[in-house]
Amino acid sequence: MESTLSPTMQEATDALISNLLASEAFVRYQQSQTLLDHDSQAQTLLNQLSQTQTDLRKKQAESNLSKDEIDSLRALQTQARENDVIQGYADAQQDVIKFLREINDEINQLLGIDFASFTKRSGCC
Amino acid sequence: MNDQVNEDIEIASTSIVKQAARDFATALAETPQFKAFELAAYAFHNDQAAQKAMQALQQKQQSLRPLMQLNALSNTQREELLNLQSAFTSQTVVQEYFTAQAELTTLCQALGDELSGAIGLNYAAACAASCCG
Repeated sequence: MESTLSPTMQEATDALISNLLASEAFVRYQQSQTLLDHDSQAQTLLNQLSQTQTDLRKKQAESNLSKDEIDSLRALQTQARENDVIQGYADAQQDVIKFLREINDEINQLLGIDFASFTKRSGCC
Repeated sequence: MNDQVNEDIEIASTSIVKQAARDFATALAETPQFKAFELAAYAFHNDQAAQKAMQALQQKQQSLRPLMQLNALSNTQREELLNLQSAFTSQTVVQEYFTAQAELTTLCQALGDELSGAIGLNYAAACAASCCG
């Protein structure tokens, strides 16, 4: 059976999307994302953190990881945690996920199935 | 800072978003895929032969799990498992249930893709309590 949406289903989907995007949790999430995207200091820190994590993972696999390298990673993680823009984004993302779960629960109650698990494609991790 | 920006944006209240979610669920419940799934699930859960075959298969899988994980099943055990699988999946009510489930999954995946694309988050992963958290 093809998955083309009926006009009623499409309309309901569009309405859900526009209301989700206009919710406080999503508006704050988008604002925090914009702030993060335009903050060069936060971007540099996140890039450094990502690069260091990749490098250290590789070294760990080769059993070639020094204490200094672990300390440098921890220092970067602390800097990221103390960065208001990064922290604001992380908090907003947590809030939006919590809100999305509430909305999914609302859908589940009416359908009697876990809608989100039906939307999952294999190998999502 | 955010509050200042919010003054220029019309915020949808939680109750409005939840109403949109209920409308969405109602529309989904009215689709042929969901109706077929509900009927097939009801038939499957109320079919004693199918339930017995499923329980027999699950019990055998559970008892053989350690050996299965080690890929150490004997030919007899493997054959026994295949026979139980076949006894389960060959039943019409089971096949109809799996078909209906697959068709509903296809529809829900399309909806999930649309939601995920629009909100910029993977809907299934965001709502999952397990691995994708």
